Amino acid sequence: MNKNKHLLLWSSLGVFLLLFVAAGQENFGKEWRSIQKASRSAEGALDVRLRQIVNPTLGISDRCVSCHVGMAPGETGITGPAVTAAHKNVVHQISDYGCTTCHGGQGRATEKADAHGTVHFWPQPMLPMKYSQAGCGTCHSALNVPNLAGLEKGRSAFERLDCLACHRVEGRGGTIRPGGGGMEGPDLSHIGVRGYAANWYEAHLRWREKSSEPVWKQSFDAISEADRVALGDYLATRIGASKLIEAKAQFNSLGCLGCHKVSGVGGDAGPDLSRSGERDPGQLNFTHVPGQPILSNWLAEHFRSPLGIVPGSQMPMMGLNERQIDLLTMYVLSLRRRELPGAFLPKDRVSALRFGAREFATDGATIFSAICAGCHGADGKGARYPGIPPFPNIAGPDFLQVASDEFITETIKQGRPGRKMPAWLSAGSNEAGLKPEEITRVVAYLRQLGGNTAVTPDTNPSRWVKGNAAMGAKLFAANCSGCHGAKGEGGEGPALNNKVLLSTANDRFFVETIGKGRRGTAMKGFLEPSPVRRALTQAEIEAIVTFLRSWEKK
Amino acid sequence: MSTPIIEPRSALQIFRNNLLAAPRRLLDAMFRSGKPTTDRTRSTFVFGNVFLHLHSVRTHRWNLRWTTTMGLGIATTAAFLITLVTGVLLMFYYKPYPDAAYDSIKDIHFVVPTGRFIRNIHRWAANVMVVAVILHMARTFYTAAYRRPREFNWLIGMGLFVITLGLSFTGYLLPWDQLAYWAITIGANIAQSPREVTDALNITDWFDPGGFQKLLLLGSDVVGDEALIRFYLLHVMILPLALVALMAVHFWRIRKDGGLVRPVDADARLESSKEETYPVFTEAPKKTYQLAAIVKGKTPVVGRGPENTVPSMPHLFYAELAVLMLTTLICIGLSLLSDAPLKELANPAVPENPAKAPWYFLGLQEMVAFSAFMGGIGIPSIVIIGLGLIPFLDREEQGTGEWFGGAGGWPLVKQAMVVGFGASILIEAFVIRFGWLREWFPHVPQLVITLINPGTVLTLVYALYSVWLVRRYNSTRAGALGLFTVFLCGFIVLTIIGTYFRGPNWEFFWSPADWPKH
Repeated sequence: MNKNKHLLLWSSLGVFLLLFVAAGQENFGKEWRSIQKASRSAEGALDVRLRQIVNPTLGISDRCVSCHVGMAPGETGITGPAVTAAHKNVVHQISDYGCTTCHGGQGRATEKADAHGTVHFWPQPMLPMKYSQAGCGTCHSALNVPNLAGLEKGRSAFERLDCLACHRVEGRGGTIRPGGGGMEGPDLSHIGVRGYAANWYEAHLRWREKSSEPVWKQSFDAISEADRVALGDYLATRIGASKLIEAKAQFNSLGCLGCHKVSGVGGDAGPDLSRSGERDPGQLNFTHVPGQPILSNWLAEHFRSPLGIVPGSQMPMMGLNERQIDLLTMYVLSLRRRELPGAFLPKDRVSALRFGAREFATDGATIFSAICAGCHGADGKGARYPGIPPFPNIAGPDFLQVASDEFITETIKQGRPGRKMPAWLSAGSNEAGLKPEEITRVVAYLRQLGGNTAVTPDTNPSRWVKGNAAMGAKLFAANCSGCHGAKGEGGEGPALNNKVLLSTANDRFFVETIGKGRRGTAMKGFLEPSPVRRALTQAEIEAIVTFLRSWEKK
Repeated sequence: MSTPIIEPRSALQIFRNNLLAAPRRLLDAMFRSGKPTTDRTRSTFVFGNVFLHLHSVRTHRWNLRWTTTMGLGIATTAAFLITLVTGVLLMFYYKPYPDAAYDSIKDIHFVVPTGRFIRNIHRWAANVMVVAVILHMARTFYTAAYRRPREFNWLIGMGLFVITLGLSFTGYLLPWDQLAYWAITIGANIAQSPREVTDALNITDWFDPGGFQKLLLLGSDVVGDEALIRFYLLHVMILPLALVALMAVHFWRIRKDGGLVRPVDADARLESSKEETYPVFTEAPKKTYQLAAIVKGKTPVVGRGPENTVPSMPHLFYAELAVLMLTTLICIGLSLLSDAPLKELANPAVPENPAKAPWYFLGLQEMVAFSAFMGGIGIPSIVIIGLGLIPFLDREEQGTGEWFGGAGGWPLVKQAMVVGFGASILIEAFVIRFGWLREWFPHVPQLVITLINPGTVLTLVYALYSVWLVRRYNSTRAGALGLFTVFLCGFIVLTIIGTYFRGPNWEFFWSPADWPKH
C-alpha cells in the first residue's frame, strides 16, 4: 500500500504543479495582457481585458484590438508599445467592419502568429502592409477604370490645370502645396465615391468672378471640353485607394482579359481570376518562389516566369519590369470578392453585378489595351510567343485598307472558332464578352492605331473570282502551304480554312492581300518579284482565291 | 471548541449548545459509520456509501499487485472520467451547428480562459482511453480472465470497447474542420461499403443495407447539419449513458465473479504480508455469507474465508486513486506540451489528400484501400465475432490468472509475435512493391478482389496458424493465444503503415517530405 500511497502523493503533487503552470500561462503568459499592462490611456492605467469587434452579419469577431489597443473603437489617446498605435484615418468605421474584412488574417485568434494568419491551416493570412489597399477588393468593384495612359491623361490634366492650388488629393495640394499660395478647397481624395455637382464648372467660373482671393484668378481659368472629360474620368477614380486604381489601370493595359476572366468578363484560354487573391498559400508550391511562402511572392514570381511556377502553363513570359509586377500583384490580391450581406453590398458592386456596369472604362483605347493587347500587342502589330502560333498584326495599314469595318466587327463578334481568337459578342448565354457598341468603339480605335487608315471602297460584289480551282490548289501547295498549312489550317500564318474568315471576308480582301502583301509582316505581295520565288500573275492569284473558296462548302 | 458546554438550564441554552455542536453533528450525519478504523467500520464505509458500494468490502491481495492488472481497467475508467469532466466544460462553449462549430472551437482555443488547455486534455484523455482499453483487453486475454465464470464480463468488455471507439469517432467530427469532415466522410462511405457486394451481385436496387447504414449514420446523403447534430447527440448523451450503464454491469460482474481473476494457487504464492492480513475467521465458514442476506445456494467464496483479503478501505482505494492521479498527470502533461489539431474550416469542395480516419481506424483504412467491404465491415466483423467466441471456445482451466497462462505460454506468444509481425510486414511489402490483382488482371471483377485481398489473405494466414497451434499443442488456449497475438501484431503493423507511410492517393512514401506538392 505504501507504494500506492507514494504514487498517489507524487502524481497529485505533479498534477497540482501542472495545473498551477496552466493557470500561470493563462493569466501571465498571454502577450496581449502584457501589452495592455504596459499601455496607458488618457485617463490613466488601461483596463486589462480582452477586446474584440463583433459583427454577426459579417461573421467576424476580431480580437486584433486586444494587442492593437489604439485601434479599438472608443479608445483614444493610448500610449504604450508601438503596437498600440492608432489606426490611420480611413473611410470605413472599424466598429462596423472590424479588421479582417479589409486586412485578412485570423480575427478570432489572440496570439500574434495565429492572428496574422501566418500559421498552418489558416487559408487567408493578413495582406502585407504595402498591399493593404487590395483589401478593398473584398467588397468593392471599382468601375470604369481606364488603362495607364488614360489614367495618366486625367492625372496630368488635373495637375496641369492647377486644381491642386485649392484642392487636396491624397495628401497633396491646397494650403500645403509646394510654393505656397494655396487655398482651402474640398479634399477630393474620395470624390469618386461621394460625387459632386454636375454644374461644378459653371459654379467655379462664378466664384472666380466674385471672389477676392488672388489664387482664383491665378490658378483657375476656362477649361476645354476635352480637358473636362479627362478631369471627370480622373476624379471618378479618386476613391481613396489610389494604388489599387493604378494597379487596376496597369492590369487594363496589358491585355490580361483577353485570356482571363474577371467578374465574368474576359477570355477563357486561362483560368478565371475572380478569386485569385484569396488562394490558400498552403495549397501552393513554393519550391521555385524566393522569399517567404506568402501569396504575394508566389504571384510576383508567377508574373516573372509563369511556366517556372505552374507546370504546363500556357501563359507566356510577359517580360514585365518590377514596378509592373508589383502593381499586378496588388491587383490580383484584390480579387477576393466574397458573398456579402445586403447591408454591406457597395453600390459599385451592385452596379457591376446587377446592371452590367463595366469595371474597365469602355472607350475603345481601354477596351483594346485591356483585352486585345495581350495577344495583338499594345500597338496592334501582333505578338509572337514561343510554342504558340503567332498572333496577327491587325493595325497595319495594308490590312486596314482592305478590311472593312463590318469585316473587323464580325471577326471580333464571332472570333475564329478552333483557333485562339474567341467570339467576343456578349449574347445569349455568353455574357463574358463585349456589347455591340463597345466593339464599334474598338474598331474605331483600331483604325486610329493604324494611322487613321480608312478602308478603300470596293464596288465589286463580295464573291467575284472565277479562277481555275485545280490550278489554284497546285499554286497554293507550292506558294502558300509552307506558312498557311497544307490544308490551310495555319502555322506561321493565319488559318485560311476558317469558317468565319471565309464567310466574312470578301474576295477583294484575299486578292489584294495576296497581291500587295502586308507591310510589317511576313506576308509579302506575290505580285512583286522576289529572289526566292517567281511573282504570280493576277489570274494565278484569282485561282488561288477560288481554291480557298472551295473550303467554304466544307 | 473554545466555549465549554454549559449544563443547559433553559431552551435558549439548549439552542446555543446545539448550534455549537452543529459541525460535528453534520459530519456524523454524513458519515454515519464513523471513522474507518476497525474492520467493521471499514466495511460499513464501503457498503454504506452509494458511490462506493459497487466495490467489494474486502479485496484479495493478489488483485492489488501491479503486475496482475497494471491498473489498466482503472486507467481506462480514469481517462473516461477526465474526458467526461473536460467534455462537460467544453459543452458550455461548443455550438453543434456547421456554421458555428469551427468558430466556437477557435473561441475555446483563444478566448475561453484555459480553453486551449481543457480541449487538449479532452483530446489526449480520449486517446489515452482508447490505448488503455486496448491494453486492458490484451491483459484480460493474456491472463485468461475470460474463463468461467467471467465469459459474459468479457462480452460486456467488448461492448465497452466498441462504445469507446464510437465515442472517439463521434467526437472526431465535432470541430468541423477538414480533418473531421473528411475522416467522417470516409467512415460513412465504409458504412456504405456493403454496396460493393450488392452492386457486384446487381441487387442494390431492392436490397441496399449499405445505403441504409450511411443514411442512418448521416441523416442525409452528405455530411452536413444533420450529421453534426446526430454525432453530437451520440457523443454527449447516448454513448456516454450506454457506456456508464455497461460499466456498472462490468464492475458489478467483477463483484459477483468473486473479484478479479486469480490463479488457483494465488494464496500459496502470495508472500506473507507486512500489513494487515490476519485470520478473520477462527474456522472456515460452512455456509455462504453475504452481507446483505442469507440465501440458499453457493457463492464463489464458499469454502474459503476472507484470508489474504484486505479491507478495500483504504487499500483498494489508494490503488485506484493512485492510478487515477497518474492517468490525470499523464493527460495534463501531454496537454501542456501538445495542442489538439485543428485544420482549416471544413470545405466540401476541397478533399484532403490523403484523407485519413482517426488513428485507431487507420489499420482498417489500410485494408479498406483494397476492399471497402472487407476492410471496413467484413474483417472487423470476423474479428469481433472471433473475440466474442473466445470464452466459449477456450474452456480449459490451466493457467487461469497467470500471464500467458495455458498451453504454450510465453514462448508461444513470442513465436506468434514473430509470425504476426512477419506475415503482415511481408504481405504489405509485397503489395506495396508489386501491387495486387488489378496490376496483372486489369479486368478482374471487384468481387474477386473483395474475397482475395491483403486483408483476407492475412486473416487466412493467421487463422491457419492458429489452427496449426491448436493441433500442435493439443489445446484451444494455445490456438487462442496465437490468434489474439497475431491479430494484435497485425493491427499494430497496419496502423503504423496507415499512419506514417501512406500519403496522397494512399500511395506509399517513406516520409512525408517525399509527398508531392500540388
